[in-house]
Amino acid sequence: MSYIVVDGISKTFKVSKRSSGMKAALKSFFKRNYVYVDAVKDISFSIEKGEIVGYIGPNGAGKSTTIKMLSGILLPTAGNIKVNGFNPFKDRKKYVSNIGVVFGQRSQLAWDIPAEDTFDLLRDIYKLDDKKYQKNKEELVKLLNIEEIIKKPVRTLSLGERMRCEICASLLHEPKILFLDEPTIGLDAVSKKIVRDFILKINKEKKVTVILTTHDMMDIDTLAKRIILIGKGKILYDGSLKKLKTEYGSYKNIIVKTDDTIKEIKLKGIISKKKIDGGYNLIIDSNLVTVSKVVNYLSKYHITDLDIDNEQIDDIILKLYEDYKI
Amino acid sequence: MKSYLNFFKLRIITNLQYRAAALAGISTQLFFGFVYIMVYLALYESNKGVTPPMNLSSIVTYLWLQQAFFALTFPYTKDQELLNMIKNGNLAYELIRPQNFYFKFYIKLIANRMVAAFLRSIPILLIGFLLPEPYKLSMPSNITSLIIFIIALLFACLLVTALSMIMHLLTMYFLDARGVSSAYNVIADLFMGGIVPLPFFPKFLQNIAYKLPFRYISDFPYRVYSGDITIIVGKNMLIGSFIWIIIIIVIGLIISKHALKKAVIQGG
Amino acid sequence: MVKLFIQSIKLSIKSQIEYKGSFILNGISQLFIFFTYYFMIVALFSKFNNIKGFTVYEVLLCFSIIQFGYSITETFFRGIDKFEDLIIDGSLDRFLVRPRGILFQTLCSDVDFIKIFRVIQSVIVLIISLINLDIVWNINKVIVLILCLISSILIFFGLFVLTSSYCFITLQGLEVKNVFTDGGKYMAQYPIGIYRKGIVFIFTFIIPYAFINYYPLLYFLDKTNNTLYMFSPLLVLIFLVPCLWSFKIGLKHYNSAGS
Repeated sequence: MSYIVVDGISKTFKVSKRSSGMKAALKSFFKRNYVYVDAVKDISFSIEKGEIVGYIGPNGAGKSTTIKMLSGILLPTAGNIKVNGFNPFKDRKKYVSNIGVVFGQRSQLAWDIPAEDTFDLLRDIYKLDDKKYQKNKEELVKLLNIEEIIKKPVRTLSLGERMRCEICASLLHEPKILFLDEPTIGLDAVSKKIVRDFILKINKEKKVTVILTTHDMMDIDTLAKRIILIGKGKILYDGSLKKLKTEYGSYKNIIVKTDDTIKEIKLKGIISKKKIDGGYNLIIDSNLVTVSKVVNYLSKYHITDLDIDNEQIDDIILKLYEDYKI
Repeated sequence: MKSYLNFFKLRIITNLQYRAAALAGISTQLFFGFVYIMVYLALYESNKGVTPPMNLSSIVTYLWLQQAFFALTFPYTKDQELLNMIKNGNLAYELIRPQNFYFKFYIKLIANRMVAAFLRSIPILLIGFLLPEPYKLSMPSNITSLIIFIIALLFACLLVTALSMIMHLLTMYFLDARGVSSAYNVIADLFMGGIVPLPFFPKFLQNIAYKLPFRYISDFPYRVYSGDITIIVGKNMLIGSFIWIIIIIVIGLIISKHALKKAVIQGG
Repeated sequence: MVKLFIQSIKLSIKSQIEYKGSFILNGISQLFIFFTYYFMIVALFSKFNNIKGFTVYEVLLCFSIIQFGYSITETFFRGIDKFEDLIIDGSLDRFLVRPRGILFQTLCSDVDFIKIFRVIQSVIVLIISLINLDIVWNINKVIVLILCLISSILIFFGLFVLTSSYCFITLQGLEVKNVFTDGGKYMAQYPIGIYRKGIVFIFTFIIPYAFINYYPLLYFLDKTNNTLYMFSPLLVLIFLVPCLWSFKIGLKHYNSAGS
C-alpha cells in the first residue's frame, strides 16, 4: 500500500446565490437561494514515501481544499484518505505530529515578537524533547540561513525572511510529510531559490515527502518530478513532468511582428493563433509542421520581426488549461 | 447629486445582503429595550413615594427611541476604508481628486449611518408602538414636538458624524487608534445620555453635560419627542445644535487640512 | 497544559507591550468604561432608594460578581471571545494541524491583559459593597461567595464557547450573541427577581444567570434560610455540558474559510 492513498474524495460547499439589483436584493432578504458547489469531485491518487509532488491548477480549482483534507482540517464529503495508516480527520491529534503545513498566505508566527519565541512555544505544543528540539532547530536555522533573522520581531522581516521562518517553524517537530500551500508566493528571486534548495535538501537528506501547490512553474521545474493537475475539482493529469514535456514539448512558440492582419492559416499543426500587441503569437506542433513551412507561409505578409521559442513549462500548463477549458 | 443617490442605493443593497446581521441587530436592540425598561419599571414600582426626574412614559419612550436609532447616534462607528487611508498615508492622493476630501467621507459616513438606522428603526418603532402599556412607545406629545424631533434627529446625525470624522482624523496623530476611540466612545456615550438619561445625573455632572455638544445627539431629540423638553426650549436647542454642528465641522476641516499636509510631507 | 497556557500568556503580554503608548491609553479607557457601568447604578440610586427591596449595595454586590466573571473571561480567554476572527484569519486551520485540543489552543491564542483593570475594579466594588452591608460572617457565607465568583467565570466561559460553536456554521448574524453575553451581563447585574416572569424563566433555566448571583445571594444576604440556595452556583456545571458538546459538533461541520 502506498504512503498516501486518496480514494475518491469529494468536498461540497453550500453557498448562497445572489443576483444584482435592488429588487433581487429585497427578494433575497426574505428568501434565499442556495447552491451546492463541488470544490473537489471524486479525486483519487496515491503518493509514495519520499516523493515531491507538485499539485497545480488555476485559482479555485480545489488545490487548497485537497491540502486541507489531506492535513485533517476538512472532512471529505465522500471518499477516504489514508496517510501512513492514519485517517487525517478522525485521528487528527495523533496524525498531525507526522505532518508539517505551510500556508503561504497565512502566518503562524506571532507578529510582534521574534520568531524564536514562537518556535519555543511550538516546542511545548508538540511536547518535544528539549535537547532534540535545540539540535533540530540549530540545524534548520543554519540550513535556511536565518540565525539573525529569528531574533527580530516578525513584523520587521521581509516576506522572504518570514517565509523561511515559517518553513522552519513547520519542521521543528521533524514531520515525515510536508504540505506547502504556495510557499513561494510573492517572494523575490533570491528567496525563491533558497526555499527551493532547502526543500530539495530536506527531501533528499531526511526523506521528507513533499506536496506543494504553486502557480510558479519554476517551482515545479526545479522541485517536482511528478505533477498532479487539477481543474474544476477533477484531476486532469497525473504523471511525470518529463512525459508532459515530451508530449507537449514539440510545441513551438512563434512571435510574429507585423502590422498586417493575418487571416486563418490553412496549415496542419497550427495549435493556436493569438493577436498580441503589434503582431501575433502562434503555437505550432513541430511534429506536424516544420517551422520553415510556417515562415514560408507567412512571407506574403509584411513581417518586421520573428521570434521562435521552445515552449516553456508555463506555456505548456497554460496550453493544458486551455485544452481542458478550465 | 445623482452620484450620491446611487451611492445610497448601493449601500442599501449591500446592507440588505446581510440579512442575518439585520435580524440579529433588531433582536438585540429589542432585547436591550425590554431589559432597560424592566429595570426602570422595577425602580418606579418600588419607589412610589419618590418623584422621579422623568415620568414613566417619557422614560419608556426615550429607551425605545434610543434602541431604534442606535445605529444613527452611536458615537463612533469606524470606517475601515477611511482609517486605512489615513494610516497608510494614501491621504495624499486625495489632493488630486476634485471632491473635497472631508465632505466626501462625511457624506459616506452619514450614508452608512442612515442606511443602517433606516433598516433597523422601522421594525423596532412598529413593535414599540404596538406593545401594551407600560412597555408602549408613546406617540409624540404633539405635532410641533414631532417636527422638532425629526429636525433634531437629523441634526444629531450631522453632529455625531462630524465628531466621528474628527476621531477618524485623529488616528493620524496616534500610533494606535483603539485607545483614543474607546475613550471617546465612553465619554460621548455618557454625556449624550446613552447610559442613563441626563435628568438622572447628579447635579454637577448634569451641569457639565448640558454644556457639552454630546447631549444634542440623543438627550435632546428623544426628550423633545415625549414633551419632557418643552417646545419653547426645544426651538432654542435646535439653534444650539446647529451652532455645534458648524463648530465641529470647522474643527474637522482644519484638522483635515493639516492631516493632508502632513500626509504629503511624510509621503506614502 | 498549565505550563503551555502560562507560556502563551507570557507571549501575548510580550506582544502587547511592544506598543507601550497605546497599552497605557487603553488601560485608562478601560477604567472609564468600567466606571460608566458603576455610574449607571449609582446614578439611579441617587434618585431612588431601593429596587424591589434591594438596596444599592446589594445591587452592587450582584453587579460585582457578574462583572468579575465577565472580565476574567475577557482577559484570559479572549481567544474564545474573538473566535470569529480566528476563523476569518485562518488561525483555526493552523490549530487543526497541531496535536492539541482546539478549545485549549483557542484559549491559549490570545490574552487581553489590559482588561485586568476591569477585574481589579470589580473586586474593588465587591469589597466596597461587602463593607457597607451588615453581614454576619460564617464559613458558609465565605463558601457561597467563592462559589459565586467561580461560577460567574464558568457561565461566561460556557457562553463564549456556545457562541463560538455558532461561528462554525455561519459568521452571519453573529451580533445576536450580544443578547446572551452583553445583554445577559447587563441584566444579571441587577437581582434577577426584579424582572418579569418570562425573562426570569429564560435566565434561570436556559442560561442560568440567576443561579450564579441571585439565588446564592438571597442566602448570603439572609433573605432565605434554604441551604440549597447556597449550592445553586454548582448548577452552572450542567450548563457547561451542552456548550462544550455543541463546540464539538460545530467543529465537525467546520468549512475552512478562504480558498
